[in-house]
Amino acid sequence: MNDLSLALKDLDEKRVYELVEKELAAGARAIDIIESCNAGMVAVGELFASGAYFISELIFSAEILKEVMKRIETLLQAAPSGAGKGKIVIGTVKGDIHDIGKNIAATLLRGSGFEIIDLGVDVGAEKFVEALEKSGAKVLGMSALLNFAYPEMKKVVDAVIAAGLRDKVRIIIGGAPVNEQVREFSGADYAAADAVAGVEFCKNVYG
Amino acid sequence: MSSEKTGNLFEKRLGRYQAAIGLQPVDRIPIATGSNYFAEVYSGNTKQQTLYDPQKWLEAEEAFVCDFPEIDVLRDNRIYGPLFDAIGCKTYRLPGRDLPPDIQFQFVEDEYMKEQDYDKLIENPLRFMIESFLPKILGEFADPCAPRSHIAFLKAGMAQMMMGQVMRNRTVVLEEKHGMPQPMAGFFLAPYDVLADSMRGFTATMTDMFRRPEKLTAACDVLVDEVCHLALATADPFKRWPIFVPTHKAMFLSPSQFDRFYWPSFKKTLEILIEAGHTVRAYLEGNWSAHLHRLLELPKGKILFDIDTRGDIVKAKEILGGHSCIAGGVQDSRLILGTPKEVRDHVRELCRTVGTGGGYILSAGCNFPYDTKPENFRAMIDAVLEFGVYDSSLSPKPRELSPGVQTVASLKPRRLVTAWDVKKAELGEIKGDEELIRRNWEQLEQMAHVWIWQWIL
Repeated sequence: MNDLSLALKDLDEKRVYELVEKELAAGARAIDIIESCNAGMVAVGELFASGAYFISELIFSAEILKEVMKRIETLLQAAPSGAGKGKIVIGTVKGDIHDIGKNIAATLLRGSGFEIIDLGVDVGAEKFVEALEKSGAKVLGMSALLNFAYPEMKKVVDAVIAAGLRDKVRIIIGGAPVNEQVREFSGADYAAADAVAGVEFCKNVYG
Repeated sequence: MSSEKTGNLFEKRLGRYQAAIGLQPVDRIPIATGSNYFAEVYSGNTKQQTLYDPQKWLEAEEAFVCDFPEIDVLRDNRIYGPLFDAIGCKTYRLPGRDLPPDIQFQFVEDEYMKEQDYDKLIENPLRFMIESFLPKILGEFADPCAPRSHIAFLKAGMAQMMMGQVMRNRTVVLEEKHGMPQPMAGFFLAPYDVLADSMRGFTATMTDMFRRPEKLTAACDVLVDEVCHLALATADPFKRWPIFVPTHKAMFLSPSQFDRFYWPSFKKTLEILIEAGHTVRAYLEGNWSAHLHRLLELPKGKILFDIDTRGDIVKAKEILGGHSCIAGGVQDSRLILGTPKEVRDHVRELCRTVGTGGGYILSAGCNFPYDTKPENFRAMIDAVLEFGVYDSSLSPKPRELSPGVQTVASLKPRRLVTAWDVKKAELGEIKGDEELIRRNWEQLEQMAHVWIWQWIL
């Protein structure tokens, strides 16, 4: 890890921005900066998984990264390929507009090198299926805070089956009201107890 | 039911509920869920009807109470749709208005307060509310000088009175016709949650802990008096049931962040309310396991803590047992997806573990799930009657009524916009009984402040 990666890992916001300016002045390409930041984000993810960092550290690291991306946006010739570890479709199910849990999972997954197709909140079954078909993602992540979402999660799984995608896609559910009983009811493959468990599951799928 | 019989029932239920909260012996584990949206769903209302039609709401509650007389308290809805419409409240989506009629209301979080607004809030909270915050979250108040805005304010003031009438009416009907007490009355938020829920929102508050920690703590400190006044003004004047506080963002904090940002102002708020003679019912939403030990710093037997489905009720009992009563334990997913047999076994287990030694109230995790299967609700009650009895010869009496306001030295009196002294000077000589005029003048202004501060929720 270089200085920039370390500064991001340590959440030293001011130093991150200084180093970005310094590197740009020295002729660094946008893609180099992104690589350093990615390494820092992976380190943040590891600290979170080990329990040294909590959710606020995760959120703050994402905020710093957002600022860096804003700074180098104009320098980027093309969007980074995002080949990385693989694609994951993620969203909060229909009827539920809560996004904190989903965003935490997405941040952590991005930090681990996955390409996230984030469908947002209040996402219907057909939209999930469409995104899976279009992206070819092998993992579908559904989030919810409200417990009336159980039938909706089942509906999405059923729609994936109906679209003939079930054997190509692993389905993971997460959020406060989710547990093994809900997983069984919905027909998903895995109920993540927290965001870290979810990332581990995705790593195994693409591993 | 005869009025004597309902009176006895009311006393029995309230006595049981109060005794459990106060860690006194009870005949059996109370079945006393805080928010019970299942009640209205069970009775066939759409969620829109409950929020918009007080009569339908009350009918639903009455039907529920008749079918499940074993429960000890009942409250469900707390939102009155017409009030939210009159002022164009943007922080909620409501069933039937912007959600399908059968989807529950949901909170819309955003960064309504910008980082540069901290100083304004700290300097003068009420002024900040009126000039900065309310115009952002109340659509009808976006242009405060327009006639439409003036009319909207009048309408929303009237709607508030209507809602007060609705709440009083249902409390009286439930008490006098069914002997059913309330689980709580009045509300407030932890100062940190005021910022993290409705003002700054989640992401901004999370980053404020790193970028402007002093401002954040100063804002929390300044909000203590405001939330206390809100809580005391909306509480049960007889102090029969606790004041309600849901906690929302503590679950996202590390222990050191909790200790620094969340706890000091929340603790002070709770201490003031307890010193004022009240009890409190606090929903510990999410998993509070890392913070539970802090609650031991509070007075004993004054707060009922609801443990969420994501929390660990066994650990909560270990830590808080003998200090504070806890509620919860029944897993939401079992009530919604399980069978009566599973629920019965589950409740039996709870009675034999966390129920031991009292200080326990049976409920689900904070909000009782409204998609509960009725047969599972019945199984839950029957299991408590079978496994949750301590000593059926006991019948604890409710506390003596204690009406009136107890002043608390550490709570500054509310800063009125137009204090009586100012008004009096304008009026010149008072020709009759000044006290009669002053009392009403101040009461109305206090009510206006409650109207304003309710929008932090």
